[in-house]
Amino acid sequence: MFLRIIDKTEEAIISLLLVAITLLVFAEVVLRFGFGTGVSWGQEATLHLAGWFVLFGASYGLKTGAHIGVDAFVQLFAPLGQRLISALAILLSLGYCGLLGYGAWVYLHKMYRIGIELEDIPLQAWIAHSILLIGMVLLSLRLLVLLWDVATGKTTGFRRTDEARESLHLAEEIKREVSKP
Amino acid sequence: DPIVIKFAHVVAENTPKGLMADRFKELVAERLGDKVVVEVYPNSQLFGDDKVLEVMQLGDVQLAAPALSKFSRYTDVLALYDLPFLFEDLHAVDRFQQSEAGQGLLKSMEKKGLIGLGYLHNGMKQLSSSQPLRVPEDAKGLKFRIMASEVLEAQFEALDAAPIKKPFSEVFTLLQTKAIDGQENTWSNMYSKKFFEVQPYITESNHGLLDYLVVTSTEFWNGLPDDVRDTLKAALDESIAYGNRIAYDKEAEDRQAIIDSKRTEVIELTPEERAQWVQAMRPVWKQFEDEIGADLIDAAYAANQE
Amino acid sequence: MTTATLFLLLFGCMLLGMPIALALGFSSIVTILLFSNDSLASIALKLFEAVSGHYTLLAIPFFILASSFLSTGGVAKRLIRFATGVVGHIRGGLAMASVLACMLFAAVSGSSPATVAAIGSLVIVGMVKAGYPKQFAAGVITNAGTLGILIPPSIVMLVYAAATEVSAARMFMAGFVPGILLGLLLMVAVYIVARVKKLPALPWPGLREVLSAAFSASGGILLIVIVLGSIYGGVASPTEAAAVSAVYAFLIAVIGYRDMGPLKTIPWRRPGEGFGRLLLRNAWQVPLALPQSFTHPEVRKVVLDAAKVSIMLLFIIANAMLFAHVLTTERIPHQIAETIVQWGLSPWMFLIVVNILLLIAGNFMEPSAILLIMAPILFPIAMQLGIDPVHFGIIMVVNMEIGMLTPPVGLNLFVTAGITGETLGWVIRSVLPWILLLLGFLMLVTYVPQLSLFLPEYLDQLKGYR
Ligand code: NA
Ligand code: NA
Repeated sequence: MFLRIIDKTEEAIISLLLVAITLLVFAEVVLRFGFGTGVSWGQEATLHLAGWFVLFGASYGLKTGAHIGVDAFVQLFAPLGQRLISALAILLSLGYCGLLGYGAWVYLHKMYRIGIELEDIPLQAWIAHSILLIGMVLLSLRLLVLLWDVATGKTTGFRRTDEARESLHLAEEIKREVSKP
Repeated sequence: DPIVIKFAHVVAENTPKGLMADRFKELVAERLGDKVVVEVYPNSQLFGDDKVLEVMQLGDVQLAAPALSKFSRYTDVLALYDLPFLFEDLHAVDRFQQSEAGQGLLKSMEKKGLIGLGYLHNGMKQLSSSQPLRVPEDAKGLKFRIMASEVLEAQFEALDAAPIKKPFSEVFTLLQTKAIDGQENTWSNMYSKKFFEVQPYITESNHGLLDYLVVTSTEFWNGLPDDVRDTLKAALDESIAYGNRIAYDKEAEDRQAIIDSKRTEVIELTPEERAQWVQAMRPVWKQFEDEIGADLIDAAYAANQE
Repeated sequence: MTTATLFLLLFGCMLLGMPIALALGFSSIVTILLFSNDSLASIALKLFEAVSGHYTLLAIPFFILASSFLSTGGVAKRLIRFATGVVGHIRGGLAMASVLACMLFAAVSGSSPATVAAIGSLVIVGMVKAGYPKQFAAGVITNAGTLGILIPPSIVMLVYAAATEVSAARMFMAGFVPGILLGLLLMVAVYIVARVKKLPALPWPGLREVLSAAFSASGGILLIVIVLGSIYGGVASPTEAAAVSAVYAFLIAVIGYRDMGPLKTIPWRRPGEGFGRLLLRNAWQVPLALPQSFTHPEVRKVVLDAAKVSIMLLFIIANAMLFAHVLTTERIPHQIAETIVQWGLSPWMFLIVVNILLLIAGNFMEPSAILLIMAPILFPIAMQLGIDPVHFGIIMVVNMEIGMLTPPVGLNLFVTAGITGETLGWVIRSVLPWILLLLGFLMLVTYVPQLSLFLPEYLDQLKGYR
């Protein structure tokens, strides 16, 4: 139940961010063309929201198997071998998160100490950029869950075919629709 | 190990800034070859102007030269240089920048970890547009692209025009399709960014200044051995003077190249017309007087008299 | 040493099955740690700059969102019915129409992956439905999408113009003829393949069906008009037009056709309803449907799907920028280019070497980054050898096109993998035969400068610029 709430919240945030970015850019066009004016913070807000969108969503992408990779080599092995290789890959990925997360921490700390704001929005830079650290922590958590699943044999690697199939549902749906007489 | 100075900038190597950076590299190699190595990274290869100042604070870039309006996050007073019709020409700019007040501004960001080392010219700004601009009324209701700066925003609002902020990557297309009517820039920028190809009119207004500030981090600069720092500063002063000489020539050259291209009409203002523009934009000074300081504005304006 | 480490790490990580984004990022970070004194903090900052500093790239999520609405709602179905009606009776007709759609879209977008995203998500499914092999459909679109940077406007050309002081307008004009030529070549190839492989041709459905299909699809066709119109009418830039098209796609799917969302079961006109009543009822139902959409499961699913694909793509692109950052700081492209300079080649040999060099670079870096680094180095040599600056620019752009199609960093490949849900290997196999066509085209463009130069020179003469 609890996990389900987290999932739903995550999905809602990602969707809202995408909708917000789209509507912001759309509103800018309407304002400029319709009313001959602009919003001074529009550009900075759009770009920062895009940053949040990608970095926040990266971990969700991992959960749903949306990140593409090359699994041809891994497939050559028996399930046990696949799990071992995947475990190694997950550990390296955790290394990625750890290194970037540490870098983000140092960077945010520096911005916090200098105390500068964004250009057009009166918001501290370290808050606006904190998603770097948050994103890496979230991604690490997902990687740990994946590592556990690989260790316990629930899955053999990054690509969770069952859920990845989901992205095909659009295609299938249309196929069904169109083939209706 | 020698001290490594990474000089990151965002323009091509054949621009005044690019040539200045390369000259600095040569001078340092000549004078401090065994102690200091300068590496120049042009074309935003390392970081864009938005992030380079933050990277500098992290100690990964030691020198950069962003436009003066990029420093609004660090200090209010440098907004002085964005004020419209403050300087009549680059010579007046030079006189002020070399004065005590001008040099004092270099130290305005020390508390935020940055220290200015010298001013580098790009040139005086002109107005380009899809329609001929002769008097301020011509700009009324038009949309102008600006860099992120409150002063520049106020400047176009004073004309009853709409200031629009858009990233550089979009500007060319927006101007080409007339989604934005005009922009302000130096002759050199309009030439190198090809804006003159999509803007049929350029008004030679000389209404503002677009200069760069060569900047380093306080931590790095103060941590240098005294003799090295002095030699570096001297080399920098020489290369900046060299860059500024090129900037003067380049401004004239690029202006001529734009005229010769026949792709745009250059409008020269009569003294009466120019006076109207000055009058329309002057109220902006008052708006920012508190932030910048009335004394400073007066000192800068006084530099117009030789 | 640095180069070897970087690439060994990248290939190693990819073989282990690491997601491409993480493999690119991890190999970059480790290489920096081993060979340079850059701090981790600045690498983190670089990543943030990569995800939040590139406005033009936002066209990708916007177009994906738009396509997501179009293909989930019945819009795609209607468009496909129309296209099949018009060209379905020709062998390979639908595939040819798709190439044409890519060309049209390329004429408004400056980005190649955005072209694949916009057209591909709409027509690949349609082609499969009409009986084409999926791999054939994907291959055609992934290739035709590269026209995005050759047919003007083009982001890559602007970058080249800025880096070399060549006229952007002349670059744009120069891309026009080669762009159309490549489009036609692709269509001819499609036709030949369709003949040989006996791809399906449908019976001519009759003018009545075509007209009725056209009317039914007009909501979707209007999208193309809106995108083209808002760009050429001076309303919006390509990125903004992408956002406009996303909003429009939502409105047409949820309010217009009502194939999905809160109004799905409520028709515009109830049987026997009077005109006044109809207006009154819709006047409150339509505005109410807008906020209702935010909680409607179908609408949310579409947005979430689009978000997933967009995040995957943008995260790869961001990490690819980190990778390019390492290449730059380690001056790897510089070293290679300087070596070439020392060889002292003749013009035509030089062009071959440039082609090979850029093709290899295209495997690892994003086009704008390649141009920014390579153009200033190669350009002066090309000038010395008497190669025309505009022609040289077009050669570079065509090279960049091919680079979009080659692993490990090929943005078009990633987009197609994302929108078809197939593996990267599958997509690469689907693209392979078409790359040969593109290579042939590259040779043509390289050694027939008049293809690129005819139009800009003619226009300049016409306008009296020279
Ligand atoms: Na294009
Ligand atoms: Na590639």
